Parts: sequence; structure tokens; C-alpha cells
Amino acid sequence: MGTLTRAIRNVSRRKARTLLVVIALGFSMAIMISIPPGIVANQESTQDLTENYNNMLSSMQEEINKTATLIECSTSSGQGMPSGAPSGDPQGMPPFGSQQAAVFVNETVVDEIRSIAGVKDIVEFLEESSNETTSETISSPRGDFTVSRPIYTITGVSLNSYFIDNYSILPTEITSGRNLQEADSGVVLVSSNLTSYLGIGIDGEVEIYGESFTVVGIFEPTSQGRFETRIAYMNITDAQRVTGNAGNVSRLDVYAESASDVGGIADVIEATYTGLYVTTYKDRLENLERMQEMYTETLNNAQSTIAQTQSTATQVIIVAVAATSLIVLFVMLYTVRERTKEIGTLKALGFSNWNVMSQFMLEGIIISLMAGVVGIAIGSVAAPTLTSLLLPRISMFGTQRSFPGSVNLGATVSQAVTATLDPQWMLLAFGFAVLLGALGSVYPAWRASRTSPMEALKHE
Amino acid sequence: MSELILKTEELGKVFKMGGRTIRALSEVGLQIKKGDFISIMGPSGSGKTTLLNMLGCLDKPTKGKVVLDGKDVTKVSEKDLYKIRRHKVGFVFQTFNLMPYLNAIENVELPMESTKKSRDQKKQRARELLKLVGLSEREDHRPHRLSAGEQQRVAIARALANNPSIVLADEPTGNLDVKTKYEVIRLLGKLNADQGTTIIMVTHDSQIAAHAGRMLFLSDGKLLAKEKQGTHLAKDALKCPNCGRETQPEDTFCPRCGKKL
Repeated sequence: MGTLTRAIRNVSRRKARTLLVVIALGFSMAIMISIPPGIVANQESTQDLTENYNNMLSSMQEEINKTATLIECSTSSGQGMPSGAPSGDPQGMPPFGSQQAAVFVNETVVDEIRSIAGVKDIVEFLEESSNETTSETISSPRGDFTVSRPIYTITGVSLNSYFIDNYSILPTEITSGRNLQEADSGVVLVSSNLTSYLGIGIDGEVEIYGESFTVVGIFEPTSQGRFETRIAYMNITDAQRVTGNAGNVSRLDVYAESASDVGGIADVIEATYTGLYVTTYKDRLENLERMQEMYTETLNNAQSTIAQTQSTATQVIIVAVAATSLIVLFVMLYTVRERTKEIGTLKALGFSNWNVMSQFMLEGIIISLMAGVVGIAIGSVAAPTLTSLLLPRISMFGTQRSFPGSVNLGATVSQAVTATLDPQWMLLAFGFAVLLGALGSVYPAWRASRTSPMEALKHE
Repeated sequence: MSELILKTEELGKVFKMGGRTIRALSEVGLQIKKGDFISIMGPSGSGKTTLLNMLGCLDKPTKGKVVLDGKDVTKVSEKDLYKIRRHKVGFVFQTFNLMPYLNAIENVELPMESTKKSRDQKKQRARELLKLVGLSEREDHRPHRLSAGEQQRVAIARALANNPSIVLADEPTGNLDVKTKYEVIRLLGKLNADQGTTIIMVTHDSQIAAHAGRMLFLSDGKLLAKEKQGTHLAKDALKCPNCGRETQPEDTFCPRCGKKL
């Protein structure tokens, strides 16, 4: 019969009380162990967010730099948004697939523009969305909403090998199959989200505007937005035929001989063709700056929330630690008072002060260990709820409407709060439980050990 | 002549309560020999328990000394007194004071916890003691499953665990019914007679006190000069002192001669 056995027997003596204390302590422990991983996850998530933003901005900058001589002429005002995707990638389309009536210009305009002084090359595109649409639900920090969007968008490109080699007119991230080549006809290069939507693979047949095309390659959209447009690239002549737009184009990428010619050419095009929306390197840089400002604002908001989170978390943890220690302290003080006569008897039987103290401290530690187990159990189930209840959430407002892909980033941040516990935290929590149990029991145990045996034996 | 095991000299204890000074013990001189069975009698507040606490090293006197096994225990520091209590003294309390969460054998083992005995030796010793008090069959029973008399017998076995020099019993029969209290006093007498255990018992029950070998009287903290020889239950069995007929422990009058026992 050792001190430990006696301590365990004593703890199990008052089952209801022990259970209540363990549950109360368990909740405090659950709060203590749930919050730090939540903070870490928030920080990591903000870091990821910063990295994503920075990568996106630098790839945009890179793309813009590469296209210093490019003048984008589009029949739609939504076009021309700078993006890290190839210029033919309709990522610049209004988000969530909102459909605008397609406007086309005749190819005769191309010859007219080509005659403007300083124009080097013109790449023609024809972009058109499918008539059929799908309804899809988006979950975002601001709630769920349903959007209707086309099943696919086709992009017809002038498949000229000189253009393919010298300008970014086709996607580069080919995951299987091959890219489009000059003189390709009756074949398509499709985005991976379209193949998964349609359930087809390489060499599969896809029906576009009632005509069958063979899939020769699959590419990965450059950003991972959940509402990335599903695209099929094809030869522009195929696109014109199937959409009934023979001789029409919806976008022109005009390349100047040199960057110094860009301003003049853009002015002439804008003045001559009022139906064309012109975007130059300068416009794209301005857009990039606006985007940078928005990103910076979002990141600042996130950083400020993180700081607020840390401050709140510190307060919550201090309260939880204090509550845990006080619960142990009061329970053990009550126990010591209740068992005064027992302490007197033990001392009369020859127990030293240390023997008595160690028994009561062990009892406090056992209760705390049990609470630690309960805390971990509660924490592993309720950590997300506890953290979301106790910690402020990072706001992503202001970015969602601006560009596709931001919804995904926002979702990443809100998921950060649902961080779960890892074994390291659990082990740490156990150690902490023992420490708090020991700390909370020190004074009551010391008081027990200092009790006069004669006085204690008189206690009823 | 028997060896002197416990001696007090001019023992005094003064308490201060609310500005008042209470003299609980005054000039108590005692000499207890090995194998004595002494009862100390006196009315409530006469200082019986205070004296027992001094003898058992639970409290320190304000004056005089207590010499136990040749050592003045009043000079031993507070933090070392537990060793004397563990090895030299066995306590029996009026309310038994068994640990409710331990069974009979574990309760008996309790004082041996910090001794050098092995686990088996402790168990063996506890078994022997339970057998001695007639509770071999009840060693796995927790206190709430034992009768009051059985609980006190376990407490007596516990008091003997470390083979102490003296056993101090504070009103050991105070919480027992008539039949059981005679069983207990008989057991104490038997231990004294058979094992040579030195017992000092405090009681206010004159009939119980009379079963000890020697009766001392305390009044207002002073040991009275009168001293009586007890009947010594174990030595003289339960015979009527007038006609010699055997009597039952609970008998107050002899069933044969009708005289008061």
C-alpha cells in the first residue's frame, strides 16, 4: 500500500465530486490546448495568404513585363484585366461566369489596325461561352450563394507557329497530352476542370456547339480558384465555324515594334474603333497597383486580426490557467479540511509531514491528469468550436469581388481556425496538467502537512 | 524488577484561550514499567487526553519532561517526532479512526508504510496481528463492513504494527456497546498478559478502568495520590472477587452471590 495507491483510492472515493471537478478542469484544459494551435494555424494561414498574394503579384508583374509591347483590344469591357495566365486565358472575364452578350468585330479591322505605323503583329482570338449553363453553390465566409455559369468557354486562337513560339497565346501547364500546333483542326486543348466535369480524358470526344472535337491535351488553369472557367482552346477557324461567326473575332492582341510605339498605337485604335476596349502595359500596371493596394489592405486586416487574436488568446489562456489552478486549489483545500481527522490519524501513526504532503499533492496531480485526458478529448472534438467562439476570425472582405481565386484564399483563412491538435500539443497539455495540478495542490498539501496532529484529531 | 519504559517529571501544560490561561496539566509525575497495563481515570476536562497526547508525542508540554525508552522526547524537534510516534507508540482512538478507503489488512499495514520491512513482511505482520485480534477472516473487509467492535480490534492490531514500546488507548470503549466494550477490554488485557504489551488507557468508565492492572486518577490536571489495583481481567479471568464464581464481562452483579462486581 503506497502513497500513490492511497491517493488513487481517495480520488475515487467521491466519484460525483471528482467527476464534476474533472469535467470543469477538462474544459479549462480544452481551452488551453485548443487555442495555441488555432493561433499558429492563423499565423501560418496568413503567411500562406501573403505568399500566395506575393506569388500572384510577381507572376503578374512578370507577365506584364514580358508583354510591354502588347496592346489588348477587346470587344468586352471586362477584358484586359491583367493576369498571370496567358493572354488568351479568359481569367480576366467577369468573375462567376456572369454572361455578357458577346460582341465581335470583323477581321477586316485586323488589316486596318495592321496598317497603323509601329504595329508588328496581331493575334486574333474568338471567345464565346456555351449556351448551356450550370448552377453551382459557393461557400464563403460571407455565406453560401448560388451562381449560374456556362459549362465551358471556347477560345479560338490563330494557330500560327511564329505566334505560338513568340507570344504567350496558349496555356503552358500541360498536364497530359500535347499543346495545340499550327494547322490543328477538329481538336481541342481543354482545362482539367472541364475534363473532370465532362468525365473525359485524352483522345476523348467532346461535343462543342453540336460538333465533335478530339481532346489532344489537358492543361492546368494557372490559378486554383474553385470557379476557374472551364475552357476549351481550339483553332480560331474551328471556333468561328462552330459559333457561326465566320470572319469575326472578339479580341486582338496587337504587338508594337517597340514599347515606345504602344501609346501612339493605342490612341489611334481607341480613336478609330470606339467598340474596342484598349488595354496597354500602363493600364495593366495601374490595375496591378490597384490590386496590390487591395491585397495590402487585406493582409493588413489579417495581420491586425492576428494581433487581436493573440491578445484575446493570451487573456483567455490566463483566465483558463487561473481557473484551473483555483479549481484545484479550492478542491484540495476543501479536501484537506474535510479530512483533517484523517491527517491527524496519519500523523499519530508516524507519517512525516512529507508523507502527508506528497499524498495530497499526488491527489491533486491525479485529478489534473484525469482532467488533462478529458481536456484532450474535449479539445480534439471541440477545438474548432472553441477557437471560433473565443478567437476573432480573419476578415477577407473586399477581395472577393475583385478577382477570381480570392474566394478560395478566403476559404483557406477561415479554415485556419479549425486547426486540430497534434500529438505534440497533447503531450504538452499533459505536462501542463501535471504542473497545474502540482501548483494548485502545493498550498493545500503544505497546510495538511503542517496540521497539528493533536488539533486534527479533535476535528469532527 | 521490570524495566522503566516511560517516565514523566513535573509535567505541565498551559493553554491560552481568549486571553485566559488554562492549566491543563500540573506537576504530573508518572512511572510506567514495561508490561504495565494502566488506566487513567478522571472526569471530563481533567486532562486525561492532554496527558495521553504528551505521552504519545502528539503535543509538547510547557513544563517538565517525558522520557520514553530512556530518551527525553520533549527535546526532540517537531519534525523528528514522527519517528518516535511511528516506532515507539501505538495509538487506539475512541472513534477507531480507520481509513475508510482501506480494508482491514491495509489499515494494519499503514503504520509500516515507511519502514524498512519488505512488502511481504508487512503483509505477513498484518496477518499475524489480525489473527491475534481474531479477525483473520475479515482482512479484506473495509471498515464500513465491520462492526464497531471489529473496527476497534483492527485499530488495536494497527497500533501494534511496529511493535511499539507503549500502546496509548484514548477511551477505547467509549463508542462501543456493553458487550463489545468488554470484548475489547478483554483483548487489551490479553495482549498485555500474553504479549507483554505496555498499555496506558484513558477512560472515564470506572468498570472498564478497573480491568487494568493499575488505576490512576486525574483531577484538574493533577495526578491524585490514590492509586488502585485493578482486577486485571486477563490474569484473573472473570471471577467474582467475593465468591470466586466465573462471570460474564457484561455482568454488573455476581449471578451467584448477588454482590456488586
